[in-house]
Amino acid sequence: MSKTYVILSIVLIGLAFGLILLPETNRTNEIEPEILYKEIIDPSRYLSADLVAERLINEDPSIMLVDVRSYDQYEAYSLPNAVGIPLDEILLPEWEDYFMQEDMDVVLYSNGDVFSDQAWVICTRLGYRNLYVLSGGLNQWFNDIMQPAPPPETAPSEAFDLYSFRRAACFHFGGGSIDMGTSMSDQEPIKLVKREKKVISEGGC
Amino acid sequence: MGPLIPMEIIPGQWNNVIAVLIGMAFGIIMEGSGFSSSRKIVGLFYGYDFTVLRVFFTATVTAAIGILYFDFMGWVDMSMIYIHPTYVTAAIVGGTLMGLGFITGGYCPGTSLVAVGIGKIDAIVFTGGMLIGIFIFSEAFSLFEGVYNGNFLGRVTISDFFGISPTMFVFLFTIAAVMIFYITTLIRRRVKEVNY
Repeated sequence: MSKTYVILSIVLIGLAFGLILLPETNRTNEIEPEILYKEIIDPSRYLSADLVAERLINEDPSIMLVDVRSYDQYEAYSLPNAVGIPLDEILLPEWEDYFMQEDMDVVLYSNGDVFSDQAWVICTRLGYRNLYVLSGGLNQWFNDIMQPAPPPETAPSEAFDLYSFRRAACFHFGGGSIDMGTSMSDQEPIKLVKREKKVISEGGC
Repeated sequence: MGPLIPMEIIPGQWNNVIAVLIGMAFGIIMEGSGFSSSRKIVGLFYGYDFTVLRVFFTATVTAAIGILYFDFMGWVDMSMIYIHPTYVTAAIVGGTLMGLGFITGGYCPGTSLVAVGIGKIDAIVFTGGMLIGIFIFSEAFSLFEGVYNGNFLGRVTISDFFGISPTMFVFLFTIAAVMIFYITTLIRRRVKEVNY
């Protein structure tokens, strides 16, 4: 047996033995700062109150609301079927099952959207997916859904459609009486009256 | 070609180019190691040539040690490396068939193509048979499906399966490899020299 093979074998075993002596690397699966930055500046996580209301009215099974306010506030008022997970308890392992799933869109909300946004950052750092934030929080919810303001007369018909949707949503979520008012789309379309073309007098000069 | 293409360091169109280059390098190394000779390959079975075993064990040990060091240095993320899923039944049945084909034909699929590249007639016949076999298997796949998917274990590694750390396993594997190198040298001395 040649000397080279013996030396190479010793080197190989030495390198392999070195592997055992390596200290345990403490590598976590946390999200990289660059990726977190990209996700933070991406506004697509904000869902408008109208969008959330529509999904709640349609009883969309793939939406889960999470109320990140304190328990007192959650008891006092919360959106239908919302789960109360206060922001200061969000790291507790007992909530993990709510977030650790791929099937449902988790919509975080608070009174505004600051606390829910903070919860969003924490949950994103924990590696949870499908996280959204109710844009403007409950305040916006009340402005848009519970007390919708009628659009001005000159607004486009979409604004009236949205208004009637909000009125209906308001009624659905138990606020006020229904008074649909008039919406542009309900009105009869303006009929075009075709007029006979006048026969242009021929001749002349 | 991870991690360069998923990280968008080079565009995805390079995939095929890199595949061709790696394939060519692979072929050159196989031919350089003498794997285009069916006699050299079956020498492992008859005990007069252990080149195949040595080359593959050296490659495995080198790659395993290298990847573990790279992972420690943070150059490679081990969790991102593709691990081929394990189908126990298919592995046993396929391994047996492959071994039989190996010893009767004198080539494995890769080396047969290398030998075709240098114009060996037996390798051309072997490759033709291989293609016919692939065709029959593909056409009759529904018959073999139970065997093909049997005893699925998922993406497991040996160290996961036995619950030891990968570094420990690689160390033991390296010692085993060196011992096998030594034992094969002893066997080689006892077997009559074959000239080919």
